[in-house]
Amino acid sequence: MELIINLLINGLATGMLIFLLAAGLTLIFGLMDVLNFAHGGLFAWGAFSGVWFYGLTDSFTIAILGAILTGIVLGFITEKLIITPVYGNHIQQILITLGFMIVLSEMLKVVFGPNQIAAKTPPLLSGSWEIGDVIIIKYRLFIILIGFLVFGIFQFILKRTKIGLIVRAGVMNKEMVQALGINIKQVFLYVFMVGAGLAALGGVLMAPYSGVIYAEMGMEFAILAFIVVVIGGMGSFPGSLLAAILVGLAGSFMAYYVPALSLAVNMMLMAIVLIFRPQGLFTAKG
Amino acid sequence: MKSKFQLNNAVLIIIVAALAIFPFVSDSRTWTILLTQIFIFSILAMSYDILLGYTGIVSFGHAMFFGLGAYATAIMLNHFEATLSIFFISILVGMVLAAVISFLVGLLTLRLKSHFFAMLTMAVSGLFLVLAEKWRTLTYGNDGFTFRAPEFFKDRMMFYILVLACLVLVYFFLRRFVESPLGKVLIAVRENEQRTKSLGFQTLHYKVIASVVAGVVASLAGSLYAVSLRFVNTSVLTMDITLDALLMTIIGGVGTLIGPIIGAGVIELAQHYLSGLAKEHPIFERWIIFFGIIYILAVIFFPRGIVGTIRHAYWKRKNKGGLAVSIKPTNRKAEAK
Repeated sequence: MELIINLLINGLATGMLIFLLAAGLTLIFGLMDVLNFAHGGLFAWGAFSGVWFYGLTDSFTIAILGAILTGIVLGFITEKLIITPVYGNHIQQILITLGFMIVLSEMLKVVFGPNQIAAKTPPLLSGSWEIGDVIIIKYRLFIILIGFLVFGIFQFILKRTKIGLIVRAGVMNKEMVQALGINIKQVFLYVFMVGAGLAALGGVLMAPYSGVIYAEMGMEFAILAFIVVVIGGMGSFPGSLLAAILVGLAGSFMAYYVPALSLAVNMMLMAIVLIFRPQGLFTAKG
Repeated sequence: MKSKFQLNNAVLIIIVAALAIFPFVSDSRTWTILLTQIFIFSILAMSYDILLGYTGIVSFGHAMFFGLGAYATAIMLNHFEATLSIFFISILVGMVLAAVISFLVGLLTLRLKSHFFAMLTMAVSGLFLVLAEKWRTLTYGNDGFTFRAPEFFKDRMMFYILVLACLVLVYFFLRRFVESPLGKVLIAVRENEQRTKSLGFQTLHYKVIASVVAGVVASLAGSLYAVSLRFVNTSVLTMDITLDALLMTIIGGVGTLIGPIIGAGVIELAQHYLSGLAKEHPIFERWIIFFGIIYILAVIFFPRGIVGTIRHAYWKRKNKGGLAVSIKPTNRKAEAK
């Protein structure tokens, strides 16, 4: 029993980290029709800058805020410099965002050095609770809480506020939103920056979870996030949460019971979804 | 048209002949090895261009076919005797495996939109990388293993000639391929898939064929690469290989076959010199950053690549005052990218 609970918590925590990455991807795709291959780079930058801020100030709150800020600034630069010039051309977008991904991860090595960096868990969140036989690691619970919190906040913004209304309308029909006098380009920029901020938040939360951070982790997580976005349905916010949890749980259970298949299971999930429901489990319109 | 063709062929023959004599004239080992490397990557980049330049699809999983070929050859040469016949059989085995896998993956993914395809090929290729790292009894994981190359290749020159011959063969094969009616359909898919479909072509079939051809040729490049190093590890399956092919194709010129060869030359030489500069200043250790920046700039400002730009200028001058209709679709690489 305690094993299953632990695997459940592990899976949920990993799922939440993937969700933070996938949420930005799916929103950006749904709204702007841009698949951002550089998203993993923003994630890695979030992790590195977060660890740097933590080392500087010894405060995890500041580390999180600093990482989000880094993500937002990088998101601004990416949108202005990389996405805008090739807007509307899919092949160029794919090629150019991948190129930017390389630049981002190499820049990490220039700024922070090419080696792995160890990341500490803040003292308040380290350690674990024992309830009967079950050992619950505090930090993992913290990640899960943050994940649901972010989901709640964004769901509220999307469903209940005017800006959320514009974003949802934009996902459905960009031209119409523009015809109604809303500067959709401005909305694109904001959504991109917020998505980048979410990716960076995922990165900084990831750092103490895995203990070490390295430049290539961006790419590894980006692939998982892509799988999640495909399974959940492009442009669907709740879909990406559900798919991320699914992928996280499948990963953690498989890693324990059939370790050889732990990555293959995600691919199989994706293949099945693509064969029977190519648009993903949820559609953006829903 | 005909006279131009013969001229082109004559120039090609002279260049190939010059390259073939090169190792006998110069005894620079570095250059022989560097040129061998350039030829191998030319084959890979040409195969990539069948997808990117001729069919207009972006695959991020090309490394898996390259790696498949490399592992097929390395494992077979390691387990059996290192003879020439085993070497050729292993190339065939790699090609058949690549054909089967590219067929299956293509069938599953090619009907999706470009984004999804790019993403999925990346994921499948990632799966192969993990597989190779985990299956240590066969691949020795990230550490890799060395193996004996056939006796015949003890002499670097023989291998050089073989690779050059492969390059020429692949070039003529692929040229025949893209100029065949089938190749014309691929170009039509690139230009406007919807319209090709309404003309009655089952575009999925054609795209799968393109991906199988590209996969098989890439596997040949991988086999040669493994023998050239006499060593293989999981780096042959990494994204870097795909990126190299991508960069070579884009810099050289998409939608041409000479372009990727020139691109491979430029990139390999630049790589050689830039990594040599690392002693001068540590920033050159991160020379990939320059490639990333050049690549981004090339995608925005230089989408035709070296060969494409030259050809475009040539056709423009030739057709001054005339109608642009006479431009062959193969050369009209302007907006298709």
